[in-house]
Amino acid sequence: MAGSSITKHELEHLASLARIELDPKEEERLLKDLGDILEYFKELQALDTTSVAPMTGGTDLTNIFREDMEHENTNRGAGVEAFPESQHGYLKVPPVFEE
Amino acid sequence: MKALHDLTIKKFHAGLLNKEFSALEIAQTYFARIKEKDEEIGAYLSLAEESALRAAEEVDVAIAKDENIGDLAGVPLAIKDNILIKGLPATAASKILENYIAAYDAGVIKKLKLQKAVFLGKTNLDEFAMGASTENSAFKTTKNPYDTTRVAGGSSGGSAAAVAAHFAVAALGSDTGGSIRQPSNFCGVVGLNPTYGAVSRSGVIAMASSLDQVGPIAKTVEDAAVLFRAIAGKDPQDATSVDVDYKNFTDPRLEDIKQLTVGLPEEYFISGTDQIVTREVETVIEKLKSLGMKFKKVSLPHTKYALSAYYIFVPAEVSSNLAKFDGVRYGRVGTKREEKLKDIYLKTKGEGFGQESKRRIILGTFVLSSGYYDAYYDKAQRVRTLVKRDFDEAFKDVDVMLTPVAPSTAFKIGEKANDPLAMYLCDIFTIPLKLAGLPAISIPTKSAADLAQGELPVGFQLIGKKWREADILGIGQFYEKLGS
Repeated sequence: MAGSSITKHELEHLASLARIELDPKEEERLLKDLGDILEYFKELQALDTTSVAPMTGGTDLTNIFREDMEHENTNRGAGVEAFPESQHGYLKVPPVFEE
Repeated sequence: MKALHDLTIKKFHAGLLNKEFSALEIAQTYFARIKEKDEEIGAYLSLAEESALRAAEEVDVAIAKDENIGDLAGVPLAIKDNILIKGLPATAASKILENYIAAYDAGVIKKLKLQKAVFLGKTNLDEFAMGASTENSAFKTTKNPYDTTRVAGGSSGGSAAAVAAHFAVAALGSDTGGSIRQPSNFCGVVGLNPTYGAVSRSGVIAMASSLDQVGPIAKTVEDAAVLFRAIAGKDPQDATSVDVDYKNFTDPRLEDIKQLTVGLPEEYFISGTDQIVTREVETVIEKLKSLGMKFKKVSLPHTKYALSAYYIFVPAEVSSNLAKFDGVRYGRVGTKREEKLKDIYLKTKGEGFGQESKRRIILGTFVLSSGYYDAYYDKAQRVRTLVKRDFDEAFKDVDVMLTPVAPSTAFKIGEKANDPLAMYLCDIFTIPLKLAGLPAISIPTKSAADLAQGELPVGFQLIGKKWREADILGIGQFYEKLGS
């Protein structure tokens, strides 16, 4: 298993990928917690899993289809009131392609 | 008026039909009790008095008209706050959803509404159901009704405490790694984690989708069986849900139960478990032997790896499921109107998520990131296969398994709050079976009436084969009849 700790630089990169703003105190705490947790994961190294297939979900079901039928939505427009900003019943967002 | 302490789903139904009380009277009595006493416990995050009283009145009208009513008609229930009820708050105990009002009913709620159940309110949990004590709730910590200096357990701590404190007849919780069974164990109530796929997750705020299941928390195994029967079944809105031909669970036959062989997995009877827990579980085994049940030692050799695997692939699923809480469609936190999109994301997630959510999102992002995926995420999923195979093998020899639920009784508030690893270890007996998608129930070893003053509840866990809830619910019902 790869190195069992995360550097400050790596943590900042991960936080940026996850779009979470962390303050320096949180960073410090997370570095410690994640270090402890990754250390704990090391026990898995002892286990040979090369010939084991990964279990990729909770169910053995495959290809669950439903009939492609028309049905009336009786809940149309619900959810709009939760929008932080809206205009004419549409969700309003800041420009996406602007840095 | 019937004492709320004595009320079960079954007794409520009988009392209603015999006109001993009305559904409205009982609902009002519950609200009076909650308002008087929940300040001390903190089981509920919000109450739904208006809609609950209206629903109760409708049941009374139906009875007055001599209409047929089901077992759950008028039954006052508490619902975990990660399950959506249209028009009511659904916060998942997160600041990010503090003002969110559900726009539709969860699949389980639709089923319960058809049965005319009454929803008293929404109960506290660890934020997004991540934790074992409700200390990760953004709003409050639920206290254990048996000792308010101790935790109620988690994540469904509010639901378990609500049932234990007689703030509801029964409740719904959700279980990903133990979130129904562990708080039920700490609060001296019954909690059932159904087979993966038995119950719809539509309208349940997702944590780890390959494990999440909704299930009942109740005062008796029989009540849990009634509530489970009502919420089980295929829902077109959840493609993982399955139509199982479940029969009525409430009339188990002793001759069937006696045929079952109970496995005792040696990896679950280990040093490090509190003596009181070991002793109580041994007493249960002796009592079940007196019923004529056979016991057999089994082995689940990969048990000790299950926890690590779980805490690798669960954060991975969490990081993906919680990505949608970005402040764009709902739940914006900490930003003014005209900010840039990326700043909305950063601030909403930075200020909106609590410590455990951030920890799991970052950890999940890490184990899924290029360069680490094989060493962590892929490895964990292979270990999951090994853990599942252990159960497949052991279940060739036995029909059910009996284990402790947790290594200790309810711990003190604050005791583990700053040590995530210690908190994760609370779920050491409840997690492994989840990896295999199996059903399991937590049952108090003693009834509330039999607990000595100051004694904390302890439970035992029965693990069943897939879709064989009937076995564990059946044994549980006979155990309860044994008394102490």
